[in-house]
Amino acid sequence: MMTRERLWAWPAELRARGILGINRRNADFVLPANPRSHYPRVDDKLLSKKFCEARGIPVPETYAVIEQQGDIRGFPDCVRERPQFVIKPASGSGGRGIIVVAGHDGETFRTPGGTEFELAEVRYHLSTVISGLYSLGGQQDRAIIEQRIIRHAAFERIAVGGTPDIRVVLYRCVPVMAMVRLPTRASRGRANLHQGAVAAAVNLRTGETFGGVCKDRVISEHPDTGATIDGLRIPFWEQLLDAAQKLAEALEMGYVGVDFVLDATVGPVVLEANARPGLAIQVANRCGLAQRLEYLDAQPPEAFTLARRAELVAALSWMR
Amino acid sequence: MNARRTAPWVAGALALLGVALVGLRAYTRHAHQLASGESLWRLTYTVKFESETAGARLSAAFPFDTAHCRVFRQSVLHPDLQPERLRSPLLATREVDLLTLRPGEQSMTARFDIHLSRRGRFAAFDPELVLSAQARAEWLRSDKLVQADSPIVAETLQAIRRDTPPSGDLVQRLFDYCHHQIAAGEEGAPSDAAGALQKKTASPIGCARALVALCRANKTPARLVTGFVMEENDSLESRVWVEIRLGNRWAPFEPENGFARELPYNYLAVRRDGGEIVCLTRGSGLETHFAALRLPPGPGAGGSKPRSLSGLADLTRLPLEMHEVLSLILLLPLGGLVTAFFRTVVGIRTFGTFTPTLIALSFVFADWRTGVFVFVFVLLAGLVSRAFLDRLKLLMVPRLSTVLTLVVLCIIFCVSLLDMLRLTPSAQAVLLPMVILTMTIERFYLTSEEDGTGFALQLLGGTVVVSLCCYFVLRWGAVGRFLFAFPEAHLVTIAALVLMGRYTGYRLSELLRFRDFGPARKPKEPQP
Repeated sequence: MMTRERLWAWPAELRARGILGINRRNADFVLPANPRSHYPRVDDKLLSKKFCEARGIPVPETYAVIEQQGDIRGFPDCVRERPQFVIKPASGSGGRGIIVVAGHDGETFRTPGGTEFELAEVRYHLSTVISGLYSLGGQQDRAIIEQRIIRHAAFERIAVGGTPDIRVVLYRCVPVMAMVRLPTRASRGRANLHQGAVAAAVNLRTGETFGGVCKDRVISEHPDTGATIDGLRIPFWEQLLDAAQKLAEALEMGYVGVDFVLDATVGPVVLEANARPGLAIQVANRCGLAQRLEYLDAQPPEAFTLARRAELVAALSWMR
Repeated sequence: MNARRTAPWVAGALALLGVALVGLRAYTRHAHQLASGESLWRLTYTVKFESETAGARLSAAFPFDTAHCRVFRQSVLHPDLQPERLRSPLLATREVDLLTLRPGEQSMTARFDIHLSRRGRFAAFDPELVLSAQARAEWLRSDKLVQADSPIVAETLQAIRRDTPPSGDLVQRLFDYCHHQIAAGEEGAPSDAAGALQKKTASPIGCARALVALCRANKTPARLVTGFVMEENDSLESRVWVEIRLGNRWAPFEPENGFARELPYNYLAVRRDGGEIVCLTRGSGLETHFAALRLPPGPGAGGSKPRSLSGLADLTRLPLEMHEVLSLILLLPLGGLVTAFFRTVVGIRTFGTFTPTLIALSFVFADWRTGVFVFVFVLLAGLVSRAFLDRLKLLMVPRLSTVLTLVVLCIIFCVSLLDMLRLTPSAQAVLLPMVILTMTIERFYLTSEEDGTGFALQLLGGTVVVSLCCYFVLRWGAVGRFLFAFPEAHLVTIAALVLMGRYTGYRLSELLRFRDFGPARKPKEPQP
């Protein structure tokens, strides 16, 4: 028998399923767990990189940092020997202001999607990045030119026009929920959910994908390729969870989302960390975050030691 | 104690404190007895006229503050009339010009609540401590009713001078002459200076003009003042007296009743050029009616002592010109409250946090039709020009400044266009927050580029909805008047914001977003 789609859910129903709303996320978890003074550690990607490098967590190699308008003149020299690279605002958010260059001849720069930019256009883009157009507070920013991550073959059939990323949300340094975000044509190759990318849940214990969501609606196939997004085992999963915990400890942020990409050769590479990770991860997992966070809050402090975290992760992964 | 438990207590305490302070002040105001020699009055203007075309101009002078008089509340109702506020620095009076928008019967009602003090305890601002050359020339001028250069004036002045000893007070002699020698005439008696001095009989205004002409001929600046004598009367007549410059101050003289240098405290000055209190150009059938009514002591009367703590919170004691600005500032937190509600409880996203409040605020003080026309036009023109500017690849700050310049030009052009189409624009339409509009255009453009036009339109829709709600709250006049009388009521606003700041329930938008988490409904089985 077919079921009729509902137009809304009642608050009591969401509470019963342990769904976390934005207000509660901010008031009960982000504000108490993340000291304001530590925000630059996640908002400034250069600083985040330093934290990662200090703990041996792989990050994309930085080729150059352009800080002043005058430095833009030196840009062609920076990338002469680099056929592929990424331009990224140091304090950007939501993937805004990022240009991925898959090839160039010094005058024309080509993205993986085939769009071409002239050198003057790239220079103008660098200038707008430095002006702070994409920075969080509209302040003057820096442009990072860094290594382009080559997509791992595991994602060949379920990512279109870009590189998927894997988000792990950690609370008190314990991974509580994870998902993989798959670019689509609608998201123009970006792994941003509000632009139409697909999210698939990842089982914390096994690293296997299940379920999926696109534009807050449940799906089970990639909208462009039709490939099933269930049952994909994420390579290097243990290594990835380990890196996420190490980074959360280093950042001293109690509630944090860490974004990884899987490089074809290096494995998990940290892209960025987020002090206010979004809530769509719940829809992808078809499970609420609140119940998992409350479960962790109820544990004694000794349960959070490195040795015992695996038990917590296993317990969380069974929660539905 | 953690924040979750503390916040409701803090909010409760603030709300209680706010209510208690409002209650206490309202009670003390009602219980307040005016000091001896002080009284409250309501002066009402009722004006009716006919205009055959749009553009007829009604000029009305309003009472202004003096040491003995303070206007603490004012309301002017003028349906179908467009105000053009004017303030003449030369005359230091308060006037308003109202233009008719369409032909037909027109009306205006103005009501002023006035505090009179026999002791003259109000600190009146006197901008005329030093008389400018321009003002001096104006108050020595001869015209067709005050003929300061007429031979009869010169002759009379000469005669009075001859009779005044060198050490005598000539101004006093001139006043005495007018008071004693010019008899109060019947209807038809001369109302100009020369006629009054010639016939030795004149109307009250003729007598006053004679005194002004004599002073001006003596090179002493003098002017006519029109006003009222405040006494309970439902058909009040305007009165005219004279102000003569003595040293660095204007001294009042009233030849009709013989008051010199000091007038009774209930003389209320309204106009300082001898003109009518209400005059009409390009219209007909002007009917004016003035009434004065004594009021019981009540809220807003400014009974508090100027330098006391309660006086600090009593904004009604401030000059009337500041009332409008302060009411506007006091309404802003309510806009913030509405915005916070929509973002925290409803979950509507907008461009910028306070953009909707500022847009709504500008609409409160503009005619909404003009406002909407200008707003939509500026937004569309701004977006088109922003798209064009994108091709020029300008740096951010010069680009934003270019958009700002274009926004300013669009607003000015809109006002001119509306005028050309004879849809007389509201001058306040230009109060639209130009910088906010510029940023909205920039954000709309960038969002549509980065996240798609659908998402940008969704944000714009959210901004419009929240602005609309802010507008309806902000134009609720009773709230503005209440907050102006009791600004401490905003403690309750803070309490509401504290509670909202600790609201951890679901946003309404999340009930839609997470609807898949509710149990799915089963459709009814088809009936056999």
